[in-house]
Amino acid sequence: MISVLVIASFALAACGSPATEAPVEAPAATEVPATEAAMTEAPAMEDVAIRWRTRPDNQEEIDVYSQISTDLDGELDGITLTYEPGGSEGANYQDQLKAEIAAGTAPDVFWIPGTDVADFATRGLILNAADLAAATPDFSVDDFYAGPMFHLTYNPETGAAGADSGAVWGIPRDVSTFALYLNMDLINEAGAPDPRELAANGEWTWDAFLDVAQKTRALGSDIYGYGASAWWGPYGVWLNASGGGFFTEDRSACALNTPESLAGLDFQRSLYQDYDVATPYGEDPEPTFRAGKVAMFQNGRWATPGVRTVDFEWDVVQLPDGPSGTAGNWLFWGAYVINANTEHPEEAWALAQALTTAQTQGKIAALGANIPSRVSQEALDSFLTFTPPANNQAFLNGIAADANPTAEGPLWAGSWPEFDKVMGPAIQGVLTGATTVDDFGTTICDEANKVFTQ
Amino acid sequence: MKIQSYRFLQFLNKFITYFVLTFFALVMIFPFAYMLTTSFKIPADTFRYPPRMLPRNPETVVVDGYDEPLPLYFVDVDGTQKEYALAKSNIKVGTYAPADNLTATVERYLTEVKPTGGATNQQKVTVNGEEVKLFDVEVDGQVIPMILVSQTTVGEFIDPKNPENKIFQNVRLSTPVETLGGHPENYVEVIELNNMARALTNTALVTILVVLGQLVTSVVGGYAFARLKFPGRDTVFVFYLGTIMIPFVMLIVPLYQLMVLIGWTDRLAALIIPWIFTAYGTFLMRQHFITFPKEIEEAALLDGASRLQILTQILIPASVPALATQATFTFLYAWNSFIWPLVIINVGNEKNHVLTLALNVLRGRASDTPNLILAGAAIAIIPPLIVFILGQRFFVESVASSGVKG
Amino acid sequence: MTTHLPTDPRTENLLRISIIWRGLFTLLSAAGAIFLWTGTLLPDSPLWQKIIITVTLVTASVFSGIGAVQISRRNHSGRMISLVVDYLAFVICVVAALTIGEVFIGIDALAETFTSGLPYLGIVALGYFLGVLDEYFPQKQQNSETSLKVASRWVMLGGFALFLLQVGAINGILYFLGKLAQPAGIVSVTGVVIFGLSLWTMGRAATAQALHVKTNHEQILNGWLFLSPNLLGFLIFFAGPLVLSFYFSFTDSDAFNTPSWVGFANYAKILNVRFALLTSPDQLARDVVNIKVYDEVGRFIFGNRGILFAAADKFFWLALRNTLTFVLFAVPLSVIPALILSNVLNSKLPGMKFYRAIYFMPSIAAVVGISLVWQWLYNATVGYINYFITLGIDFWNNLFNLAIVDPKIQWVSDEKTALLAVVLIAAWQTMGFNTVLFLAGLQNIPGELYEAATVDGAGAWDKFWSITLPMLAPTTFYVVSTTTIQAMQVFEQVFILMNPAEGPNNSTITLVLYLYRSGFQNFQQGYASAIAWVLFIVIFGLTLIQFQRQRKSSIYES
Repeated sequence: MISVLVIASFALAACGSPATEAPVEAPAATEVPATEAAMTEAPAMEDVAIRWRTRPDNQEEIDVYSQISTDLDGELDGITLTYEPGGSEGANYQDQLKAEIAAGTAPDVFWIPGTDVADFATRGLILNAADLAAATPDFSVDDFYAGPMFHLTYNPETGAAGADSGAVWGIPRDVSTFALYLNMDLINEAGAPDPRELAANGEWTWDAFLDVAQKTRALGSDIYGYGASAWWGPYGVWLNASGGGFFTEDRSACALNTPESLAGLDFQRSLYQDYDVATPYGEDPEPTFRAGKVAMFQNGRWATPGVRTVDFEWDVVQLPDGPSGTAGNWLFWGAYVINANTEHPEEAWALAQALTTAQTQGKIAALGANIPSRVSQEALDSFLTFTPPANNQAFLNGIAADANPTAEGPLWAGSWPEFDKVMGPAIQGVLTGATTVDDFGTTICDEANKVFTQ
Repeated sequence: MKIQSYRFLQFLNKFITYFVLTFFALVMIFPFAYMLTTSFKIPADTFRYPPRMLPRNPETVVVDGYDEPLPLYFVDVDGTQKEYALAKSNIKVGTYAPADNLTATVERYLTEVKPTGGATNQQKVTVNGEEVKLFDVEVDGQVIPMILVSQTTVGEFIDPKNPENKIFQNVRLSTPVETLGGHPENYVEVIELNNMARALTNTALVTILVVLGQLVTSVVGGYAFARLKFPGRDTVFVFYLGTIMIPFVMLIVPLYQLMVLIGWTDRLAALIIPWIFTAYGTFLMRQHFITFPKEIEEAALLDGASRLQILTQILIPASVPALATQATFTFLYAWNSFIWPLVIINVGNEKNHVLTLALNVLRGRASDTPNLILAGAAIAIIPPLIVFILGQRFFVESVASSGVKG
Repeated sequence: MTTHLPTDPRTENLLRISIIWRGLFTLLSAAGAIFLWTGTLLPDSPLWQKIIITVTLVTASVFSGIGAVQISRRNHSGRMISLVVDYLAFVICVVAALTIGEVFIGIDALAETFTSGLPYLGIVALGYFLGVLDEYFPQKQQNSETSLKVASRWVMLGGFALFLLQVGAINGILYFLGKLAQPAGIVSVTGVVIFGLSLWTMGRAATAQALHVKTNHEQILNGWLFLSPNLLGFLIFFAGPLVLSFYFSFTDSDAFNTPSWVGFANYAKILNVRFALLTSPDQLARDVVNIKVYDEVGRFIFGNRGILFAAADKFFWLALRNTLTFVLFAVPLSVIPALILSNVLNSKLPGMKFYRAIYFMPSIAAVVGISLVWQWLYNATVGYINYFITLGIDFWNNLFNLAIVDPKIQWVSDEKTALLAVVLIAAWQTMGFNTVLFLAGLQNIPGELYEAATVDGAGAWDKFWSITLPMLAPTTFYVVSTTTIQAMQVFEQVFILMNPAEGPNNSTITLVLYLYRSGFQNFQQGYASAIAWVLFIVIFGLTLIQFQRQRKSSIYES
């Protein structure tokens, strides 16, 4: 059809007889029409139109949030909601947002990852909702996990954080943490011990993990013991678990070169290089896992809706404990923030709140996408009702206080995106065997420390 | 003798020629073929190793006593291959051996074996300095304490006609029974879920308007450069020529800000209007018109025809190949452009996505279903291919002519 | 000038009106310029807008005044000035009316209904084919031929009318008119009418005659008129942004705040590099350069010593390195096979057109789509490319009892092969295109040359070296330079294929990717503009070198 059409238009333009000349000119007129259609779509006059966006990682999540949007549209008076899925992780979600803010076409309320809050806040792209929050009696900073709220109430001018810092950059959408998604078919076939039982007995350590990975890897050249994506989350875990980390305690300098960090990195390197149990670093392991070829797949709660479509027996288990005695897990979070240029800040704030009520979070949790960001037993209970996976507790163990998770966070004293751009490629060099851990250790902080404002 | 060897050489020459040509043709075709066949597969089939070209469907069978249809596999029964249904998987099997003779192994289901001395007080034995648990294994009616050497899982395969006939073997390494067959519904899914239909018509609309607009402006501009003498013409022409080499990415930042200024971000207009004025197209048209004999035009002028009449009634009908050249290039450029839509069109506004953008979104959302991604790619790639096959002569020859002239 | 034909009274009156209109226009524009600064007109516009509008208005006013005087003196330049001023004003009013009527942003809405109109465009196509059909039944009967043509025309027109109806043309026009019914809309429509009338008055043949216009004057006007659509668009959407880009490259523009002038700071940062002598191959960068400013880009080792290359902006130099490496591999890989293939295709054997068409196919497919396909071909575990390599290795191992180890290449995730993976896609995609170009060049070589060489006893190889290659030099120059310019801008392949796009250990960060990253991820748009200009200079330099070589070699030949 299209081809015929295009040939016709070629012809229209090309033959140029008087008869066809008119159609050539005509498209100018045809451009007008459907504006009309756009107008009829516009909301009724009394309603304020609010657009909002979160980053979905798969179609299942899009469905969850579309449902939420429809529900809230009915509940909130005077507001008409439009949910836009936005790009996925691979499609530069944050960068697109910035381009749209610059162009004035960004949504009123949008979700950004915790790491980017400082960048957006210091550029003046998101609204400081402190006044709106102060006027809202229902809102309390203490209702949410402290890790995210520290950064969301951080005032870069005073350096203060907390309820009275004079800054509220947003409300956390949810929290998440890593677990290992298990392909029990492979683990059983390899005769490897059940990681869930090991975890229950407190024997789930790096050695036990390596044992399971090696046993499953031995099943065949296309079967892998372990798989993780190539971004800061997965590799950061190994650094944390051996007592290291990306930054110093006050997040003002690079700590990638401490002996603990390097030891963690070296163990992860050995998974790729020495023991060869992992899917190639840099290639997405999720399709491979879903195809039934990876025994242990490290990912966050957000992967659950997608994994539920697989046709093998699966479950989750918490990350293995490292030398530091903890699994070094992250407390991932992202927040709904308000566009600094929104025309309706009050309504936007109302929406941000509505999106994070215990009720909404319960709904999202029940749909399986993520863990509520409110610290409440009720929310956690509704999270636990969603199975499979049977072992939902693995996620809660990851964020439990005694697991001491490291909260994801932006760099107020520097630029997280730039830090990431220095760190990511360098670590990739180590994990793919191009550079040694020693060489990495001697040079990395020289480069990475430049992103901190002195 | 000599003639024979000459003939042989000629034959060899031809053979090598066709061999080389066919080899390269296969290299060129292969990715397209892969794209098409994969787009009809089911996800599991795309992750198979070794890879297979044609899409297949796993066969199932309905067996009495089971609610769901069971997948069929090939199994080896007494030396003959038979099609059995997989009734149950993940059955744990252990390999047991006496602690003093580890080579005398027997295989038992884990459920059939009890811990020696009971679950609460299981007996242990030391093997190679390590304590190992003992199990009571029955061999030929005799209970022998053995240790678990290794364990694995098997599936229970049953004869669909006679469910009593059972075979146990590894499921993962068994060959499923499959039939050739595609899944055109992949295309339906991509189009419905990922907005490909809208992206397709948007791309068509944008491309048509850009091609038409660009033809109009470059024809009249090229005519002015080629045929009309006016002061400043040559200066402007040199200026045009000088900008042909400037790559588009030079403009991406200022053009973005210009679009912000006039409010065209996130609008299809931004994909159309700036692209209908090009120096290159005008240059091509000018090169073409300049070869046209002047006499005809002068005669028409004497007859009182206006310049516009000359252009539309004499020059344009005689320039179909040149216009087709220009239209070809513009069409491909407009259809395939990516970086500008990426910058200017809002990722959340799927109504205004063009195919390349939709593909970029799709690759993130459907990263675990290559069949869907490649179905999307096929939707983007096939329309230009159809146009190409229909107008093959135009395409190839217009490219050739552009090289000769350039 | 020599013959003074009498002017008819109607033209005289029109000329008088024109003079008055010119005078009025002069006063109006001058007044507009003044009111702009008193704040009556457009009080909210920023300073630079005010300046541009003022300059435009004052220029228009002055020229209009001159025009009035010249028309009164019956000088043809008065007509010229009048036409130019009115034409530009007319265009501005039309664009304003279209903008106010939301025609441009209405394209979005057209996209909404476009699908429903597609069948009717099919009717248009049908009509066109009727017309084509006509050519296949030549001279059967004078009448039937014309009737088929007429039918074709009516079917096309009818189909298009139905299409317009279907996509909502009537609603659209109503909406357009509705939007125009506001002060700004009425002003611009009035402008369109007045300037249109004035243009018509001046354009009349009688008026031209009265003002002693000669044929070459007419040609000048026609020339600019025909060029104007292209030139105006070109100035606004190409030349203007180009100048703007140059300006941005001297600012810290970030798209959010007002840019401020930073002079050469952007260029200085890009070009800020240090070379340092290393006394041992593994000496650390911090021992030889100030690592607070510089990052190591690479080192060149000679025995026990070496040179360290460090830069303030490491990523730019990595991008430059990768881009040049890419060009160095992709250009020969897409040109040399094309040269060979074109020579093979140039034989008179049957089936050559078929092969030519096959080779051409990759170059018409969208790079985005193609990259997605190759991404799966490159897949390290289940991809076809590694499968073929394994098959090949097994074959040789079995044949000669060797033990070659299967490399299991991780094409896109290994920094050693990532750029190569991109090179292969690019070569695959441009090879056929280049083959067709070469083929056209080959077919332009006169056959006598080969015949003469055959008489002299030259072999096929000699002919290739002494005739084909030299005669093909202009085509080769064209092919190599266009392929190089394209290769310098490599972006889409890496953006789609690599995750993250910078590739493993920055091995596929290219100049355009870095430009995109700076401009649209970090939003340092001033810096990105500076990168754009450096990229341009590199491309320009490369083309210049090729051009020089081409000139030299053609001098030798002649």
